[in-house]
Amino acid sequence: MMVPVRCFTCGNVIGGEWEEFKERAREGDEDPEEVLDELGVERHCCRRMLVSHEDLVDVVAPYQ
Amino acid sequence: MADYDVTFIERDDTEARFLVRGVTPAFANGIRRAMIADVPTFSIDTVRFIENSSVMFDEQLALRLGLIPLTTPLGGEFDEDDTVTLALDVEGPETAYSGDLVSSDDMVQPAEEDVPIIDLKDGQRLELEADAVLGYGQDHAKHQGGVAVGYRHLQRVEVVGDRDEFRDDEPEIVRGVIETEGGELVPTEEFDNDLTERYPDSEVEVHDVENAFVFDVETDGSFDVDTLVQAGIDSIRGRAEELKEAVQL
Amino acid sequence: MDLRVIEKEDNALSIEIAGEDHTFMNVLKGALLETDGVAAATYDMNPEQSGGQTDPVLTIKTEDGTDALDALEAGTDRVIEKTDALTEAYESAA
Repeated sequence: MMVPVRCFTCGNVIGGEWEEFKERAREGDEDPEEVLDELGVERHCCRRMLVSHEDLVDVVAPYQ
Repeated sequence: MADYDVTFIERDDTEARFLVRGVTPAFANGIRRAMIADVPTFSIDTVRFIENSSVMFDEQLALRLGLIPLTTPLGGEFDEDDTVTLALDVEGPETAYSGDLVSSDDMVQPAEEDVPIIDLKDGQRLELEADAVLGYGQDHAKHQGGVAVGYRHLQRVEVVGDRDEFRDDEPEIVRGVIETEGGELVPTEEFDNDLTERYPDSEVEVHDVENAFVFDVETDGSFDVDTLVQAGIDSIRGRAEELKEAVQL
Repeated sequence: MDLRVIEKEDNALSIEIAGEDHTFMNVLKGALLETDGVAAATYDMNPEQSGGQTDPVLTIKTEDGTDALDALEAGTDRVIEKTDALTEAYESAA
């Protein structure tokens, strides 16, 4: 659905980095590793939050 | 008696790494635990939905709102269970961000402005009122001001001889901060956490330095690192004073 | 912070400190062990799931000539001193 606000493991706030990550690494063709480094998402627990996330709001939007 | 020495290795507003010499493990752990569980922060606790035609349920949105860090002054301006009201009113097509929350108190504001709360499509609308309360990390992780707070022993690296010429090329991994024989403090990331990168030709021994701890402190934005550390120490002090008074009676 | 004395002799004290947890008790125990005249200090605490006594019980044994309650007060003083010293060290480095 929406990107989680915080990292499940450590509680770091990562929601705010999602849109830039999506624009650069998903829609753009930058290397996700470099984008995460630049965004300051350091720990691998926080990094997986963004790498493994999929927006589903558009998919469920017609049903509400 | 207690003779402490603090050295900063890295430091900015929300993240710091510092070495404390002379602390006992019990005291170091007390401070760490206090920073995580006993320093209060504001967090949204109750939400009144006026209109929610988004694709997420009320309770899902309430959870997301609770996790947004709010700036928290700790100078005694607020007491436990004080309430600050925040309001949000966004109509689609648009995304509601944490920065769209309007607070009734200037001192309590969303610490980050661009956390998406919910993506609203055409015709969807979200209007709500939320009460933020001052709570403790002990009771709910959303009130936890410190993120990934921890410490490690300072490690002293000593060169004990030359490296064996026919030795296997195995990495020697260390993490944290090392102290060289010259007394220099080096974070291990500088040499890729591998001692063979820094000492390619020497045989080295690594020992924990007694009573020297390297703290890693990070905050969620509710306040800066100094405030968090100070509040952690003060929390221990407050309880010691309370006990002392109770014993004297 | 509610105190309940369970056992009190000149050189021994057993006291329940309601509302405290490991965060403070371990610091206090550590400080007591460094205090003059204290022979032994420990605390016992049960997890919430145990269903029984969950508030910590502090036990102190002191050497002859030191009252156990005075030792506890000296221990709290030591914790206060430690926090003050750390605050000072932190501020001078910051």
